Amino acid sequence: MVEYWEMAIPYNHLLPMTRNRKTGRKPGVAIWYIGPALIIMGITSVYPVIYSIVMSFFNWDWGIRLDFVGIKNYVMYLTDPVFWKILGHTIYFTVGAVSVELLLGLALAIIVNRLGFGMGVIRTLLMLPLMVSGIIVALMWKILLDPTLGIVNYLLRLVSLPTSVWFGAAKTAMPSIILVDTWWQTAFVFIVLSAGLRSLPQEPFEAAEVDGASSLQAFRYLTLPMLSPILLTVLIFRTIDCLKVFAIIFGTTGGGPEIATEAMQTLAYRTAFKFLFLSRSMTLMVIFSLIILAIVLIYLRFGERTPTQ
Amino acid sequence: MDFRQKRTLFTIIAYLLAIIALIATLFPIIWIFTISIKTQRDAFAMPPVWVFKPVWNNYVRIWQTAGFAKAFQNSVIVTIVGVIMALAVGIPAAYALNRLSFHGKRALTLWLLIAYMFPEFLFIIPMYVLYQRLGLYDTQLGLALVYQVFVLPFAIWLLRGFFEDVPVELEDAARIDGCSRFQTLRSIYLPLTAPGIAATAILGGIWIWNELTIALALTFDAAKTVTVAVAGFRGYASIDWGGMTAASIVSIVPMLIFAAIAQRYIVEGLTLGAVK
Repeated sequence: MVEYWEMAIPYNHLLPMTRNRKTGRKPGVAIWYIGPALIIMGITSVYPVIYSIVMSFFNWDWGIRLDFVGIKNYVMYLTDPVFWKILGHTIYFTVGAVSVELLLGLALAIIVNRLGFGMGVIRTLLMLPLMVSGIIVALMWKILLDPTLGIVNYLLRLVSLPTSVWFGAAKTAMPSIILVDTWWQTAFVFIVLSAGLRSLPQEPFEAAEVDGASSLQAFRYLTLPMLSPILLTVLIFRTIDCLKVFAIIFGTTGGGPEIATEAMQTLAYRTAFKFLFLSRSMTLMVIFSLIILAIVLIYLRFGERTPTQ
Repeated sequence: MDFRQKRTLFTIIAYLLAIIALIATLFPIIWIFTISIKTQRDAFAMPPVWVFKPVWNNYVRIWQTAGFAKAFQNSVIVTIVGVIMALAVGIPAAYALNRLSFHGKRALTLWLLIAYMFPEFLFIIPMYVLYQRLGLYDTQLGLALVYQVFVLPFAIWLLRGFFEDVPVELEDAARIDGCSRFQTLRSIYLPLTAPGIAATAILGGIWIWNELTIALALTFDAAKTVTVAVAGFRGYASIDWGGMTAASIVSIVPMLIFAAIAQRYIVEGLTLGAVK
């Protein structure tokens, strides 16, 4: 179980190719190889993106009305405090979940790498949550965190710790969802970073030990800098995933109480499929896509500045 | 405390922490499983019942009602069709990206990344409209096709990485011996990267099996997948714990079996590749 995940970790293939061995001579031949991919991508991603952008300037709501309204939808969202509030929730969730998962995943990777006996089994078992669908994770935790009948509150009472209503109150709902995401996705960080740790060269660490460096110093000045390209990749992947959060909110709170846990994608779902404001929903997703793109570009920029290795 | 003692202490602490992490990871799944084999009364008992006589009627019940069996079958079909599509289209594309030069290569690579980055609903609403018109709404084929928006970029990235490890000299030698480009792809790349291709298929399959957002919007009844069926229990979260937990466990198990079986194949593939 371990091996294929590690093999499949795309960190070294993430960025556009740097090492490009060109052996093709006839330019026309490539079309037979990339043609099918172009067609599929054309239908499944290019067409929808263009359609969404175009329709975001209309007022279509699944009826016969279809008027060009210019940037009215954009103005409506960008001047609506509720939009900013929901964007705020999405970012709150993302920052919370990503930072907890990254710290926990890194700590776990370091700890498990120290183990000798049973390391493989432990790693395989820790990975199990990744195999579970988000909606199932959500429903599982809804049962576990039930305020009156849930096992978690029972265990907390048992050791006389304060209990919580978890998803039930505006204040605790989002931290609860962050907790759920942490249980679900920390393993991704852990698996990628474990593979990263084991790929590090041993010589610098031996040299540091000879020179009398403490393990903390070795971590700070060797592990962390050498791991930073992988850390950045993990950070980008987790951030994108968290911004796009849907299933675990849909399955636990559905965006409630009130709109306390409403995120961009649950809002888009409601706007399109409950209220049938299709144009508005597409506007929302165009804005959100630009935000995601901007965040990723900032990360990549930041990554360029960080000295690596 | 000397160096050796310190090291032993660290190891003990590391094991303790790993065990805590293991409990935190596994307990929720185990607890949910126990609820699924409890009677309604035991499931809602407070304090919780730790020792009880297992009953399996929740499993029988969900399998016979609410279209769960059909949803399970749909998920199997959509996953298989989706993975085959991604590999059939992704393998030649990944090969071309690695070994051929063509215009717009950088743009294509960039688009693969961007498509993967964008939120589901940016694609879902246009596809919903298109599918309503084409009659692909609520069909297994339609769903497998729309999944390519994420599975195909993912597959192409991974495969490109695996193909990159194939020595270019090997291909050149085959070409000199008169192999066509397609023959080299088939007789050199595919066997050498079989474990990588398997890994790609498995990861893509897990992704499709677990996907909810797109399936929720693009299926209704006939092509409803297992995640949509499980989501149907959402409204009854406070009543039907038995049905909900049983449905959850039934949809988790195939992924676990799938991964366990495939792991062996991949390890075998790896060692074979190393021996050659």
